[in-house]
Amino acid sequence: MDLVVAEGLRISGLSYLLIFVVLGIFYGLIKLLLRMFPPKDDSE
Amino acid sequence: MTELLRGIVGMGDWRVWAMFGVGLALIWLAVKKEYEPNLLLPMGFGCLLANIPFSSAVGGGFLDVLFKGGITNELFPILIFVGVGAMIDFGPLLQDPEMLFFGAAAQFGIFFTMMLALLVGRIPGVAGIPGLREAAAIGIIGAADGPTSIYVATRFAPGLLAPITVAAYSYMSLVPIIQPPVIRALTTREERMIHMENPGHEVSRTVKVIFPIAVTLIAGIIAPMSVALIGSLMFGNLLRESGVTERLSKTAQNELTSLVTILLGITIGSSMGGKQFLNPTTLLIIAMGLIAFVFDTAGGVLFAKLINLFRKRKINPMIGACGISAFPMSARVIQKMAQQEDGGNFIIMHAVGANVAGQIASIIAGGLILALVR
Repeated sequence: MDLVVAEGLRISGLSYLLIFVVLGIFYGLIKLLLRMFPPKDDSE
Repeated sequence: MTELLRGIVGMGDWRVWAMFGVGLALIWLAVKKEYEPNLLLPMGFGCLLANIPFSSAVGGGFLDVLFKGGITNELFPILIFVGVGAMIDFGPLLQDPEMLFFGAAAQFGIFFTMMLALLVGRIPGVAGIPGLREAAAIGIIGAADGPTSIYVATRFAPGLLAPITVAAYSYMSLVPIIQPPVIRALTTREERMIHMENPGHEVSRTVKVIFPIAVTLIAGIIAPMSVALIGSLMFGNLLRESGVTERLSKTAQNELTSLVTILLGITIGSSMGGKQFLNPTTLLIIAMGLIAFVFDTAGGVLFAKLINLFRKRKINPMIGACGISAFPMSARVIQKMAQQEDGGNFIIMHAVGANVAGQIASIIAGGLILALVR
């Protein structure tokens, strides 16, 4: 396989995977924030 | 006398007429069809200004000054993001954080198109896509996010900036036409009729204030190249959610966004010179932009169907298609489709959640591509 195409495939796969990882971290962050500051906080 | 005649003589070039046609077509799409009028109208007029033979607007004129001062240094897309951030309510996403993963899944079109561009560029005789950087700049059309496309294209393929921007904004405006057939092809009527429970209570203001700060810090530490993009988006959002800078938030949403949109549009239009724009690569980019949007939609829908295999409470797979960044157009399209199948089906909150997740995901995708592609 062409080296540039192989590099493109590697970067594409890695980037797509990393998007899930980063958004997975944000998912954990939101869950944590919701637990720390539940909706009743609004009344303050 | 010669000075007066050279403009008329310059009209002998067929490319001038062709680009007048392109400029007028953009203005027609904006005025008559109302496709992204705020951007396509200034772009169309900028295209006319740039293609008038010996135009004083380019070649050192005010449009060149704007290009150097706002596009080359990426200032305009960044300022637009401040405005976009101030307009976005992350509430539906914070109520239903699972939607984040649909934002991730629907970035598939970026990478599919990037690989396709790379492969097409390897075909003998196909010029204009020499390497990974150009392919990445074309693929990022699939971010369905104008400022991110401009930002990445400016860095990786400034020569392709005009067709990439035209493709990105044109297809964003065509989301109501592009997405429904792809969704119908990949889902059954029963799947499109799936009801989803209301996401739940409104989240607290504290969460809404902490979220943009935390996301900026986390994304910035993981991918420092994304700080300008995600940072400006989240700064705008913080202005909105802090509750103490209402005047700044309103300014970012209205005056700042309007002003920069005018300058951005007319400046991008001015980069559509006939010599640079009229070539086979432009047609290739326009075609690949469509492919990117189709595969974004397919990626999101198929991801939702995959998840449904493991879930008791099924997700309406159309929600996956909202993971693209075209906000709020995509969410509206999906809600409309849901109601066409079942008048009592309201999935708008989930759709908006996935749609704003797509905003974040597309910026992360842009940042990762900038960091990884050399």
